[in-house]
Amino acid sequence: MTVDIHIINERCKGCKICVEVCQTNVLDIAKEPNLSGYNPPYVKALEDCNICGLCEMLCPDFAIQVSHIKEENK
Amino acid sequence: MSNTSITAVSHKGQHPIDSFFPPDSMPSVWCPGCGIGTIVYTFVQAVEEMKVEQDKICVVSGIGCTGKIAEYLNFGLHKTTDGNVITYAADLAAKKQDLKVIVFTNNADFLVASAKNFLDVGKKRTNLLVIHINNVIYCITESGAIPTSPFMRASVDNDFELPFNIPHLAKSSGARYVARWTPLRAGWLKYSIIDALSKRALSVIDVVSPCVMYFIFASKIGDAADQLRFYSDNSVMKQYEPTEHLDLRSQSEVIIGKFVDKKEG
Repeated sequence: MTVDIHIINERCKGCKICVEVCQTNVLDIAKEPNLSGYNPPYVKALEDCNICGLCEMLCPDFAIQVSHIKEENK
Repeated sequence: MSNTSITAVSHKGQHPIDSFFPPDSMPSVWCPGCGIGTIVYTFVQAVEEMKVEQDKICVVSGIGCTGKIAEYLNFGLHKTTDGNVITYAADLAAKKQDLKVIVFTNNADFLVASAKNFLDVGKKRTNLLVIHINNVIYCITESGAIPTSPFMRASVDNDFELPFNIPHLAKSSGARYVARWTPLRAGWLKYSIIDALSKRALSVIDVVSPCVMYFIFASKIGDAADQLRFYSDNSVMKQYEPTEHLDLRSQSEVIIGKFVDKKEG
């Protein structure tokens, strides 16, 4: 199983809702601002992600996508 | 989760729901952390899950921040003038029976300007879904009290009006489906929208959403994340609660849930 957290930096407005709602502390706020001057989140610990999708569901700016791809057993 | 493999996180590209928006329309005009964005995403997800064609849906919205929703969606859209939003949507739903008409309104559109039209819509059993985004403040005039503002807010000293009870109004005017949620309960809101869209009658969903710019300054809660947490801590779910008890009070909790779900007929 592969987890991918896809963050579109240019759309983020730095409201920190994704960091607040994450139960396993996967995301954190980056120090470098984006083009609009807001600090977007970055993926700190992807291996802790349990794919609940709350950050994607609650992001008001459509900037996060959490996808998991089921791979066939080898 | 031992089989998890770490993949490279790309920072360019598009969101999967971008086909529902006109090209190059993002980022939106809403403030950082505004609840409207969450509600729009939930609505789009609900439409995607119901597999309705995009030309069979029409979004009508009026003025203000909520009025921008129709401009950002790729469905059939009508952006109407102040006070005519319910009338326009009701006429549309009566003429085109196969169309699903959704109205996004705020308090100024819904109660202040077109309450009489809403009563007519309920009486005629029009097939309409009204999503009322209730941020308990006038955003443009910064701190004006609206009909659903809680009694005696801390910021406004001369605000002595009792709040209006929108679920009770909707039930008594004949709505078949009445519910109230906050944007933090996005999963519940999504299934509520699916339920309401599958009915062929008037349904009203009241979403108590934070206004991050002005209600924060007025109520001294904090930033957007703090306000979402405030709404989640101070809301209690009571399914099928009698609608007489559902007005917003400043000292007690916001009651959310599904209140009316009548069968058709």
